[in-house]
Amino acid sequence: MDARDSSSSSAPNRDASSSAVEDDGALSITAALAKEAASLFQSGKYAGCVEVLNQLLQKKEDDPKVLHNIAIAEYLRDGCSNPKKLLEVLNNVKKRSENLAVSSGEQTDALNTENKSTLVKGNNVSAHQAPANNANLVYMEEFDASIAILNIAILWFNLHEYTKALAVLEPLYQNIEPIDETTALHICFLLLDVGLACRDASLSADVLLYLEKAFGVTSTSQSENGSTGVPQSTNVVAKSSSVPNNASAFDSSNSDLAASVNASENPLSRTLSEETFEYESMLSTLDIGGQNPATQTGFPSSNVLLRIPVDRSLSTVDLKLKLQLYKVRFLLLTRNLKQAKREAKHAMNIARGIDSSMALLLKAELEYARGNHRKAMKLLLASSNRTDLGISSMLNNNLGCIYNQLGKYHSSTVFFSKAVSNSTALWKDRKPTTVSQDNSLLIIYNCGVQYLACGKPLLAARCFQKASLIFYSRPLLWLRLAECCLMASEKGLLKDNLADSDRSDIKVHVVGMGKWRQLVLEDGVSKNGRANSSGREDGHFSSEGQPKLSISLARQCLSNALYLLNHSETSFLHSVLSPNSSLEDRDSNEVAAPRRNYKNLHCIDSKASSTLGSSQITANGDAKEQKGATIQELVQNSLSYYDEISRRENLLIKQALLANLAYVELKLGNPLRALTIARSLVELQESSKVYTFLGHVYAAEALCLLNRPKEAADHLLYYLSGGVDFKLPFSQEDCELWRMDGTGDLEGANGGLTTANNSSQEDPHHINFLRPEEARAVLLSNFATVSALQGNYEEAKQFVSEALSIMPNSPEATLTAVYVDLALGKSQEAVAKLKQCSCVRFLPSGLTMKRSS
Amino acid sequence: MFKISNKEVKSGSMKMSLTADESRTLYSLLAGGDHRPFSDILADFTSKIPRTRHFVACYSLLVLLEPKKLLRATQRLVGFSILHQTYSSQKSSFNPFISFIVNAASDEEAEKYERAFVFQLLATDTSSSGKEFLKQTASDYIKGFDPSLHAFPQLEQLQQQFCDKVQAQSFDCLLKDCSVRSVVPDPDVPLGCDADSAEFDLLPGVAPKLGSGERDKTLLGLLSNLSLQGSSPEWIRPLPPRLPIQNGELVWLNLDDHHELLWDHRMCVDTSRGAAVRDLIAKALKGPLIPAQQEQVVVELANDPKLVYHCGLTPRKLPELVENNPLIAVEVLKKLINSPEIAEYFTVLVNMDMSLHSMEVVNRLTTAVELPSEFIHMYITNCISSCEGIKDKYMQNRLVRLVCVFLQSLIRNNIINVKDLFIEVQAFCIEFSRIREAAALFRLLKSLE
Repeated sequence: MDARDSSSSSAPNRDASSSAVEDDGALSITAALAKEAASLFQSGKYAGCVEVLNQLLQKKEDDPKVLHNIAIAEYLRDGCSNPKKLLEVLNNVKKRSENLAVSSGEQTDALNTENKSTLVKGNNVSAHQAPANNANLVYMEEFDASIAILNIAILWFNLHEYTKALAVLEPLYQNIEPIDETTALHICFLLLDVGLACRDASLSADVLLYLEKAFGVTSTSQSENGSTGVPQSTNVVAKSSSVPNNASAFDSSNSDLAASVNASENPLSRTLSEETFEYESMLSTLDIGGQNPATQTGFPSSNVLLRIPVDRSLSTVDLKLKLQLYKVRFLLLTRNLKQAKREAKHAMNIARGIDSSMALLLKAELEYARGNHRKAMKLLLASSNRTDLGISSMLNNNLGCIYNQLGKYHSSTVFFSKAVSNSTALWKDRKPTTVSQDNSLLIIYNCGVQYLACGKPLLAARCFQKASLIFYSRPLLWLRLAECCLMASEKGLLKDNLADSDRSDIKVHVVGMGKWRQLVLEDGVSKNGRANSSGREDGHFSSEGQPKLSISLARQCLSNALYLLNHSETSFLHSVLSPNSSLEDRDSNEVAAPRRNYKNLHCIDSKASSTLGSSQITANGDAKEQKGATIQELVQNSLSYYDEISRRENLLIKQALLANLAYVELKLGNPLRALTIARSLVELQESSKVYTFLGHVYAAEALCLLNRPKEAADHLLYYLSGGVDFKLPFSQEDCELWRMDGTGDLEGANGGLTTANNSSQEDPHHINFLRPEEARAVLLSNFATVSALQGNYEEAKQFVSEALSIMPNSPEATLTAVYVDLALGKSQEAVAKLKQCSCVRFLPSGLTMKRSS
Repeated sequence: MFKISNKEVKSGSMKMSLTADESRTLYSLLAGGDHRPFSDILADFTSKIPRTRHFVACYSLLVLLEPKKLLRATQRLVGFSILHQTYSSQKSSFNPFISFIVNAASDEEAEKYERAFVFQLLATDTSSSGKEFLKQTASDYIKGFDPSLHAFPQLEQLQQQFCDKVQAQSFDCLLKDCSVRSVVPDPDVPLGCDADSAEFDLLPGVAPKLGSGERDKTLLGLLSNLSLQGSSPEWIRPLPPRLPIQNGELVWLNLDDHHELLWDHRMCVDTSRGAAVRDLIAKALKGPLIPAQQEQVVVELANDPKLVYHCGLTPRKLPELVENNPLIAVEVLKKLINSPEIAEYFTVLVNMDMSLHSMEVVNRLTTAVELPSEFIHMYITNCISSCEGIKDKYMQNRLVRLVCVFLQSLIRNNIINVKDLFIEVQAFCIEFSRIREAAALFRLLKSLE
């Protein structure tokens, strides 16, 4: 539903009623204009609205709120074309409001000192404490900039600049209590979306917990009596207000005494000695306190916190549904699929009779996450009408995801392309009044992943480059781009090199004929040939802004990714890939806040637990125990599980990055750097055996290049077993496990996973890597090389022939074998090996004698 | 491959093999041995092949000279002469091919004339007059060769004489990389035939038969295809696998709510909202309010949950409110319980002077909201020490009674956990055991034990 319309429709009523109370209906001119502007705004007549606002501005010059609304209305009037300008204006409004608040705070303080002479002493103290009170002053309503700040965050959010959105939202959220409920809800929802979008589980969890406490509708048990929360709390007020009536009757009777309060040095002795009655009544109050039924039951603390949206812009059911959906999304994010399923069911129940499309779509995502792709597809197709461009773009994208997971790359590509064209079409002729996110770039990222999987590195790179405008802080993006470079290099698509596949043939020149025939091996046979790194640093882009794939670009990307991964808490990066720069300069301010302490995640924040008390949570928990897991437990479980998942995922990405980087450095002819990187790969704890194997092999090669064959041998001997033979460096299960790594979930051996297993038979991930036996052959062959370099030809011969028995067509192993034969003077055996190997190309020598004088 | 790559760095972008033209030139120089004197050929070599290419050319010659049968006798002599004379301006030990030349001079199996020729070459370094023999052609040299005129020194002797050890070793090392040649003879002759036999030599006028071939073509081909690098063992460098698509990497789109820009409805709104309450709170700081006023404050605060944040109260002003209007203080604090400033308010409350009213406020708060236990503990400690601090016995009694009742109430309502304060409270009870309420509290403590 449209939150803006509803919130604004109700707000004037509130204004009207309040002003009616105070002013007997005599609306001032400004208030009338303001009302007119607001109603014009709601009906979408932005041009008229701006006019009225300008009249208003003449009456109230430089009023930040008027300026704010003008900026918003103008932005919408102009078709949302210049978010940068709006951001600038809003930031000015924000600054202005804050300045006004501070100066007015000083004024009132000054006023206090003048008028209320009795408090002179106190105010002197306050002068020193002034800074501490600023927070209070900022929220003085008149100068409250929270709406402006929220709008700034919304703009950043719509531009996919989540870090920036977070940076402005966070202070609002930390001080959310004084903010009115409607705005507070907007803040929370936006923050949830930001948290989910940048996969910040703890942020999302904290906001969910807060919403649960403050609005009391997220938990299943509370939702039932959520409405009764209001009368309960008013009862309490009434009850307590009835008490003071009696007590103060006595107070007021001796008002003279009370006036002398400040003169009295010791209030304790005064009360104890003189106000006998008060003392006795206090004593008796305390004494019977134990029997007081009201106190015995105690306050359900959630009720104290309960915030009821005043204007009811969202019906309780809508709010409930919305929160429930967020909860499901949070659980999906943290891959707590079992709970997600349960909560999704609950969401469907709530949604019954209202709009259930969102819930259906979430259910589709759930089934997708569980690996039930067919079911997910059915749900998607059943959920909504497909006439709306935005919806069909979304559906096509999601279908693309599903087909990709099913390993049906062709269909996947088709759907992704459809989604992109839908999205761009939508964006082109969108209604000028809607402010929303352009999802094209997200879909384009999907396209990139898809193209890469299909072996189209150039197309993929173009997609990733576009997506980098919003994904620039994700390590994975940079890894993918580097993979594009390596794939392009392998396929010979880079301008300056031969295809690696071409190079992998051994070329033998046949010279002469008959008895004089000689075979000449061409040098630089293998793909180990160095990429040309000199002079390529001029830039990674052609003049059209297309990425120029190269090995050195791969290195750049991998370094970026490593940096981001190591500083995953910060997200500052000068994007090398934004030549025509995105909307703003990415300055160093954009370092995200360090791991924040969330007040609602009581386990983390000590200050919060001191104010809210940890006992409160357990009390809540006890109350809901019969309803199954409390939201706190749910959140805690999910969070710790998600932490573990994220840690493992980051570890895997890090391994991939290091392996690729070591490979790239070798290719660029920097053995020393390759060695450092390969070593750190080997030293990683809990790393996958596949990557450890790569680390050893790369390190050994680097050491050979550095003329340190003994150390190189040590790396290979890591896999020596029993002193004579090399063992398999990894098993097939290691390979599978490593492939499956991302797809496991909380469900363990539940139904979802088995279907995932079934689908993996089609091998949707399609990874080309050595089989364990081939990896062993690599070790054998390379060890033979090391031996040969050290002059141990007989040993080398033995190992390389074993390698060749496993991989008879490996050009490198063949060459090593030939070398060893030649070194041993067995040229006939060498010739025989060359003739047996299928990867040898015999080339005629083309040179003829041109008789020169 | 490995050591070569180091050398590669040294030699920069130098082409490692001869061009077609260079090959032809070199070949024609070799072939000229039959009719041109060595000196002419050597002069041609230095003029036609640029200096920077000498090493590559000489290396190619070396490879051709190594197998004994590849070159004809005259060609071999020309080859040796080029190999030696190209570097003759320097000390012989600087010649990168010196050890090969020395070995050839002392090779027992080689033809005598060849050994003699090579030895003569070596000797030119020492005697400047010895270059006369280079003025004849190679074929003349062989024809006129008289073995009796020559003595053949031993290898060790020659090595001592011509190879400066240190230098020789370093060059050796450089060449060792290429010691395994990339050339393999692969004679294409019918099975069972001896490839060396003369029957496969191509004779002019005779139709070529199977297995015959032109030596010249081979030489030329070799020259143009040889490379400095020789043969080398290869390293298998596996391409890292593509990282599988990560969970959640493909972006799944949701039908999310649009976050629309918000209109600020408080524009030009009458900000007098709550002005009455602000005034009343200001009054309440100075003295007790009358019941009607109190009622008004409570009702207005209840009607507008946000009002409390705008009523002008700050933590610093709290003690005045507590002393003058404890019940309003309770109402306000209850409303502020979620405010980020509440801790500050509590700190002020704990640290203000003990009084009946502050105790009343705390007591009411304990029953209304969850208070942080640190706060309650601190407050109790504060109470106890206040009791101990009073000199006036009467006053002290009264306060102790009050504190005891207060504590009992807290314990009965499970607001504090006695265990946390057990020792402190027990000591307090014992100290004031003469007072009835203290004794009652002590009994309560015992019963809970």
